[in-house]
Parts: sequence; C-alpha cells; structure tokens
Amino acid sequence: MQRQPMICAFATLLAALYLPVSLAQPEPRPTPSGLRYEDDSLFIRIVQRSPEQLTAFYLGRQFNQAAIEHILDTCFVTPIIHNKTFDVLWLELDTWQFGRGDEQITRIKRDYWPEKWDRSELPQAQRSTFGWTLMPEKRDLRRDEGVGGSVVIPWQQQPFTLRMNFHTGADKQGPLKTIVFEDIQCVTDTP
Amino acid sequence: MRNRHALSRAAVYACLWFAALPALAADPLPKGLLALDGRAAPPLVLNDLDGERWDISAARGRWLFVHFWATWCGPCRKEMPTIQAIVPQFDATQLEIVLINTAETEDTVFAFLAEVAPDITPLMDSDGLVTEQWQPRGLPATFFVDPQGRLQYLALGGRPWDSPEYLEFVQRLVGQ
Repeated sequence: MQRQPMICAFATLLAALYLPVSLAQPEPRPTPSGLRYEDDSLFIRIVQRSPEQLTAFYLGRQFNQAAIEHILDTCFVTPIIHNKTFDVLWLELDTWQFGRGDEQITRIKRDYWPEKWDRSELPQAQRSTFGWTLMPEKRDLRRDEGVGGSVVIPWQQQPFTLRMNFHTGADKQGPLKTIVFEDIQCVTDTP
Repeated sequence: MRNRHALSRAAVYACLWFAALPALAADPLPKGLLALDGRAAPPLVLNDLDGERWDISAARGRWLFVHFWATWCGPCRKEMPTIQAIVPQFDATQLEIVLINTAETEDTVFAFLAEVAPDITPLMDSDGLVTEQWQPRGLPATFFVDPQGRLQYLALGGRPWDSPEYLEFVQRLVGQ
C-alpha cells in the first residue's frame, strides 16, 4: 500500500519532465523577421518597391506617364508566398487586414483601375500586363505552389500592419494560419 | 513435389505483380503538377514572331506543351532555359512546345528569347486577351493538351523541365 503513493509521485515527476512545453505554455504566434516569414509549411517575403522602381518597371512595359502617375498615387505591397506543405492554403485578399492601431486601411481593389486606365488612355496590352502584376484576389494554393503580386492600398505616411489570414484544407475546415507583419512602410525614393 | 514448389513460386510472383499494379498504373505526378478534368482546350489562334498563324485546332494528333509567360516575370525567366533544354528531346510529331507571350512587344520578346531559347518561335498574344481566355493561375503556367485537344495537366508556376523527374513525366506522357 505504501508503495503506491511513491510510484504515483515518481510517475508524476517523469510526466512533468517529459510533457511537451506547449501543454504548459500557449503556442507562440508565428512571428516574421522583418518582411520575411518562414516555417516548415509556409514562406512569405514582402517586397517594397520605391516610386523610382515602380516607374522604371512600368515604363519598361510601355506604360504612359499618365498611367504611371495613377500608380504612384498609391502604395504597392508585394508579397511572395510559397505553400510548402498544406494540401490547400487559401489566398483570399478579403481576409487580409491592413491597419494602424485601431485604424483600418481599406485595400484598393482591381475595379479601381479601369477608370484610371480610361482616363490615361492606357492600351489593352498594358492593362493586361498590370492585371498579371497584381496578387490574385482568391486562389487555392496547392502544395508546393507559389504566388506573387502586388496588393494596393492608399499611400501611407506612417508605418502600418498587415495581418494575413489563410484558411487551410480543401473545405477551409483546417486550422487558420495567421501571419502578422508590423512596421511596413510605403517606400519613398532616397534623396 | 517439384511441381508443388513451382506452383507456389508462381503464386508468390503473381501476388507480387498484382500488388505492384496500382503503383505502375498510377505513377505519382511530379511536384507542382495538377491533373485537370479533360475539358476541351479553349480556342487559340495567334501569329508567331515571324507573322505565321498558328491554330490549336490544326494541332491535333500530338501532345502540346502550352506555356504562358512574360519577360518581366522572374520565375518565367528562370524556367525558360529548362524549356529550351528539352526541345531536342522530343520529336515535333509527339510533342509541340507552344510558347505564348502575354502582352509584350516583338522587340522585347526577341531580345530575350534570342539569348535564352533561340530554338523556339513564340506566339504573340499582343493584347493579352488569349491568355485571359485560358485563365492560367499566374505567369508562368504550362498546360498539357492531349492529342484530342483536351486539357490534361497544369504545371503550377515554373518547373525545371530538364530535371529527371519532370523530363521523365513528359517522356511518359508522349509514350517515349
């Protein structure tokens, strides 16, 4: 009879030593390092282009100056995403949140641009190219599939936060993956 | 006695062969390749860089590697040499490699391809509207169209076509 309490105590001690840490502490939220995030299942890098770089790129694609001026009125945030291991990782821009403190920053969507292009008399070829440089609105990223493109917001003078939410699984019933990038800035040209 | 041993051996070999059948019948696809539902490929009529017209409806009887790309796209630029590398591996009657440039000028395309893929004459989707009809998931994208004109596979993004895994896939596809 006396042996049982000792065995119980010993078993408890062993269990305490070998229990995974996650049972004792909440799992840490995945944290990017600067504009880069990587774990076993996902890679994300955010590329910020300056007005000079954007101008050079779109001029090189034969965009006219009027169209480029419309582009430079905004801020381009360009993530590159690679789904390494999820069967399906859902890219849905409407679930992403740009903000600063309590302030929400509203994303500029694709339907913003046709009127700008009409005013700038931008030819169809350039309109097509522009569309392909944007991040798709929605995509079921398959295992080992990557995607890159620009997400557009109004120009920001102050740093802002981007919260990326990704549903997982073909039916979106898997765990929600959320990555938060802080202190992103709209880049200005170096003087 | 000897007959019984031979029969047992035969039975074992038969079991092993039947067990291997599913694996032989369904080779796993290389990473990043998606099986499609076999619907008919969209129309595709474009001029190539030399001004010659190409119509997909006239290309039945062989597999088609229909590849959408642009020079400004980093993964496109990285992938193009691997496409050039597999050109000599296939007879045009088995596999035709069809490059479709999305919305760029002839000068831009010529300057790039002359260095990187001189053996392939691209089709020019000058206003980008054919690309939009095919709805690739992004650039680059490669559709495999079977000899009956049906969409069978899609490569997600750029792939190293000259690597053994992908080259063998294409070779198996065309029956080499």
